[in-house]
Amino acid sequence: MPWSGVARGSLTIASLQPTTDAARIAAGTDAELIARAQAGDRAAFGVLVGRYAQTVRRVTRAVLNDPDDADDAAQDAFLSAMVRLKQYDARRAFGPWLVRIAVNAATDRRRRRAVRRVEPLGAYLQAAGTLPDADTDRRALGQRLRRALAELPERRRVAIVLFEVEGYSHAEIGHILGMPEGTVRSEVFHARRVLRTLLSDWRDEI
Amino acid sequence: MLFDHRPDPVLGAALRDALSLEDHSTFVARVTAATTVPHVVHWDILAAWARRGIVAACVGALGAGLLVGAMQPPAPMDLVASIAGPSAQELVTALVPPDPSVVLVPPQVW
Repeated sequence: MPWSGVARGSLTIASLQPTTDAARIAAGTDAELIARAQAGDRAAFGVLVGRYAQTVRRVTRAVLNDPDDADDAAQDAFLSAMVRLKQYDARRAFGPWLVRIAVNAATDRRRRRAVRRVEPLGAYLQAAGTLPDADTDRRALGQRLRRALAELPERRRVAIVLFEVEGYSHAEIGHILGMPEGTVRSEVFHARRVLRTLLSDWRDEI
Repeated sequence: MLFDHRPDPVLGAALRDALSLEDHSTFVARVTAATTVPHVVHWDILAAWARRGIVAACVGALGAGLLVGAMQPPAPMDLVASIAGPSAQELVTALVPPDPSVVLVPPQVW
């Protein structure tokens, strides 16, 4: 079928426009995306979700020590953030604001949980038989670290994760958790001591 | 170095690996789908209308009460007589209150 110039031109514009828009939104800064999301652009909020999902899920998992609960709490956090987006002060960084909501969402969920569920050991043990040694070791270390984290007080484990994994400063963590910077330093120090000992023992074993 | 200001890259990597969850794209799709469902709107709407609703209900009840009261004819004195007898009508309309000793006299000792 022969193409007319107009038809071909229309097709090209029509087919490229959404991709171009999506790419432009995805490449936007946090501030641009937040402004769009505040105006009701769900696609922009979706990009923010993709950008911060890993951080939020790690933080909620550190609080809850259960992957399913962690994902539920992370979803609660994103929905809560979307509802409160109008109240967000654009002069402040978005990450700490969102992480604070995530910590609160996870803490609320933990309080509502009547019986504390511990991450089932079976899945890891069953999978271990079919995995290469390196993967098995990595999973076993992860399991140990999660157990060690679960033994720490909640604020201490959130503080160490925000500092060591997410790269927030002591001051930022203090703002997120609502505690003085000196207390954050102390919490990170004590958590480090426990976890470094665990890592050292682990290296000696393997 | 009691409080080290710098992150520990080894510990950080181990923790990241221990806490990271898989299925990133599935999770993002799940949250994005949830944001399109107005799951909190119902309560927001109810909360927004609650105060106005209570005020409107109070005004309506007051108006209805006044309307019903205005439509009722005043109770005639014959009504009292029909219920309690002529002595009750005399008691109600008496200018001088009755002597309570009639009622309060102690019972006769046999």
